[in-house]
Amino acid sequence: MSPIRKPRTLGLAAGAILALTLAGAALAQTAAEKAVGARQAGFKQIGAAFKTINDEARAGKPDMAAIAAAAAKLKTHAAQVPTWFPKGSGVESGAKTGAKAEIWSDAAGFASASANFQAQANKLQQLAAAGNVDATKAQVRQVGAACQACHSKYREKD
Amino acid sequence: MGEGGSRAIPLWDLPTRLTHWAIAVAFGVSWYTADNHLMGAHRISGYVILGLVVFRLYWGVAGGSTARFASFVRGPGATLAYARTLPRRDSVAVAGHNPLGAWSVVAMIVLLAAQVGMGLFAVDVDGFESGPLSHWVSFETGRTIAGAHEWGFRGLLVLIGLHLAAVAYYHLYKRQNLIGAMIHGRRRLGEGAEPLKGAPLWRLALGVAIAAGLAWAIAKGLRF
Repeated sequence: MSPIRKPRTLGLAAGAILALTLAGAALAQTAAEKAVGARQAGFKQIGAAFKTINDEARAGKPDMAAIAAAAAKLKTHAAQVPTWFPKGSGVESGAKTGAKAEIWSDAAGFASASANFQAQANKLQQLAAAGNVDATKAQVRQVGAACQACHSKYREKD
Repeated sequence: MGEGGSRAIPLWDLPTRLTHWAIAVAFGVSWYTADNHLMGAHRISGYVILGLVVFRLYWGVAGGSTARFASFVRGPGATLAYARTLPRRDSVAVAGHNPLGAWSVVAMIVLLAAQVGMGLFAVDVDGFESGPLSHWVSFETGRTIAGAHEWGFRGLLVLIGLHLAAVAYYHLYKRQNLIGAMIHGRRRLGEGAEPLKGAPLWRLALGVAIAAGLAWAIAKGLRF
């Protein structure tokens, strides 16, 4: 290669590296976006499990085993809820999220709300497993109330 | 009035008028209850609209002459010919839906039916509130339908806006009062205009029974 061509080659290489870096940065999810994606996937699982429970509770003859199984899933996910909200995954990160700043500024309140959800889901699982239809139906409303208590405080209205 | 010298003849039968205004009120109730997340009331107002739409469809084949689809739904030729007379202020008043307005009516009924239909399967983000037939679909599908339900609402707002704009245009520019006719049922029309031929009472009773029965069964989630 002639000495005259060399700077241009170097310039081309530098340009290519810069372009690749920019493209990579644009494609890579930020840590906050990853956290938001994980928690939304988690809450979708909770929504799906709770829909199963509601469908059965509203049926003429509820399938108590199905309710107990879905309630067990709720309990598992409820225990995961505190891990779905790492610091820095709120709106301030630029990620598209309905998580309110109060989740972190009122961490104790948020922890007790998710613990309440876990306790109510646990109770639902026990009642359904015992085959108590009326108590199960009443407990479904308690679980719903636990969802709503937390959402009204810590989730933006859509 | 551009309709002076003519006589007021019966045009819209009472069931058609009541259905029209009841849909207008129920649409407002559905809008308000959805905005304020009053889902119990939203479901009830949805069942009312379901019954009204079913009745209107039935009345479109079994009702008074001016309510029947066959009497007002016209082809593209007649619709285009009528559309060309729109800028004229002296156009002859049509006894019933004009060919262009007819398509507006059809579009509103079809979208309203689709909107109610989607509401039956919609599921909220928490898997808590849902339409009465949502137990037939998955959470994901129910969420997708809930999204479409929101777009259906926006579409209805556009159609209703067009409808209101057209009524205002006829009132102010063409000096044709369409609102009064939808309230008291009579309208001044030219000598040759054909008046309403009403439907017998038993047809009304049958239609109400079908609409109420269907709305009730669906509200129960078709689970017996």
